[in-house]
Amino acid sequence: MARPVSRLAEIPVRIEPAAQGAEPCAGLGGGVAALLAELAALLAGLTDSGRPAAIDLRSLPMSPQDRGELERALGEGEVRATIQADGVSIVRETGISGVWWVEHRNARGELMAELLEVAHVPEILASSVDEVAAAARALQARLGLSHATMSARSET
Amino acid sequence: MSIGNDELTVGYMLMKHGVSRRGFIKYCTAVASTMALPPWMGPAMAEQLRSAARPCVVYLSFQECTGCLESLTRSFAPTIEDLIFNTISLDYNDTLMAAAGEAAESARAKAMKDNFGKYVLVVDGSVPTGAGGAYCTAGGRTAVETLREAAKGAAAIVCVGSCAAFGGIAFADPNPTSAWPVSAIVEDKPIVNVSGCPPIPEVMTGTLLQFFSTGQVPDLDQHRRPKAFFGTTIHDRCYRRPFYDQGKFAKTFDDEGARNGWCLYELGCKGPTTYNACATLKWNGGVSFPIQSGHGCLGCAEPGFWDKGSFYSALSTPAWGKAGETAPHRVLELTAGAAAVGAVLGAASAGLSRLRQHEREVDEDRTRS
Repeated sequence: MARPVSRLAEIPVRIEPAAQGAEPCAGLGGGVAALLAELAALLAGLTDSGRPAAIDLRSLPMSPQDRGELERALGEGEVRATIQADGVSIVRETGISGVWWVEHRNARGELMAELLEVAHVPEILASSVDEVAAAARALQARLGLSHATMSARSET
Repeated sequence: MSIGNDELTVGYMLMKHGVSRRGFIKYCTAVASTMALPPWMGPAMAEQLRSAARPCVVYLSFQECTGCLESLTRSFAPTIEDLIFNTISLDYNDTLMAAAGEAAESARAKAMKDNFGKYVLVVDGSVPTGAGGAYCTAGGRTAVETLREAAKGAAAIVCVGSCAAFGGIAFADPNPTSAWPVSAIVEDKPIVNVSGCPPIPEVMTGTLLQFFSTGQVPDLDQHRRPKAFFGTTIHDRCYRRPFYDQGKFAKTFDDEGARNGWCLYELGCKGPTTYNACATLKWNGGVSFPIQSGHGCLGCAEPGFWDKGSFYSALSTPAWGKAGETAPHRVLELTAGAAAVGAVLGAASAGLSRLRQHEREVDEDRTRS
């Protein structure tokens, strides 16, 4: 008789290899291969139409093994940004240019959202138009310059 | 507590309270993730809300225990502070607001007048109609009157809790106050039911936030509940589901199966027929939920859960005992009972037959005479 399982972690998890002929994703779990195929389609959309997209990782039933495979398949890129806004957010470029791994945590450090964003730059990193305009006005005021003067300078 | 001013945008209030644009995008992204909305909805919600006038909310409490509000004020993402101070203008809630009496009632009247056709009406509790509505009155007005008046100018009504949604505990047999759910009183407004006893706080706040950002009632199921949260059963998403599939069940709350975390189906868990998000969102900021604590689901988000028999009888149990365990003496009792009922019916039938025979004989005598 099988030994009773007393913890969830003791339930063995077995990864079924991809079916034969599934190259080039052979060896990856079916879920990871499907996710990579979706990323490829979203990257093509970004290239063709400039349309950003995202995949919500928390909505996908991934085992720790799937997750490890996904991280290995995507690899690490050159950019890693930390945002301090009501808790820490970490934005990592993956080894596939245009695919960003984004984690949002609250002030207590709990994970609130985890996404794979397909974009040239994730929206949360870029400064917004109205913020830039407000900053320009504030800086001009600090320097005692008028908006008209600054506009004339920028035109020359 | 009235902080309503429809000249002020959400973005302005966010800035005033030190919440950055990035902080707000992040917060809306988390809400979208919680609601299983497409990921791009998060930044879109943030953008829409930042430029929108702060939405007015009127929160009415009727025949209820305040458990729903207790739950709402413990929301983690978004928090009630976020909702009240940054996103919505909560113009009336008789429990949270500092004002009382005439001041509170005039704040409600003003908010409803100024935002006619635009405000969201949140209702907590069932509506008693017995004794002319006297079981629930405030300021000399019955709950029915207050609800009908407030519903007139509402863009939508959100019923929080199983009492407002389905009648709840007060509706339970024999329903001494003739209580009704909101949908039985108001029939000409969009109604969203966020059921549960209480509902999960993030389900309440997420539903409100989605409405404010899109102006649309979310997709609803047959009981008018948002599909994003009520689309699957507790059982479908339960971490103990593999034990159900293996046929491993706890038989008592302290046996080996219970200690091993096996399925609680035989102990009365209503997870297989209950649609809610407890197994995924969980409670207290994602810490746990009843099944994780070792107790079966009561099915509190379903209509009529209060009158469906014991919380500790398996779903497959017939009314007269546990499934597959109808003891011989119970069979004898049932058989004897059926025989007794049959005897009574037989006697009654015979009696009725004799009475009719007697009436026929009397009629014949009259005819002859």
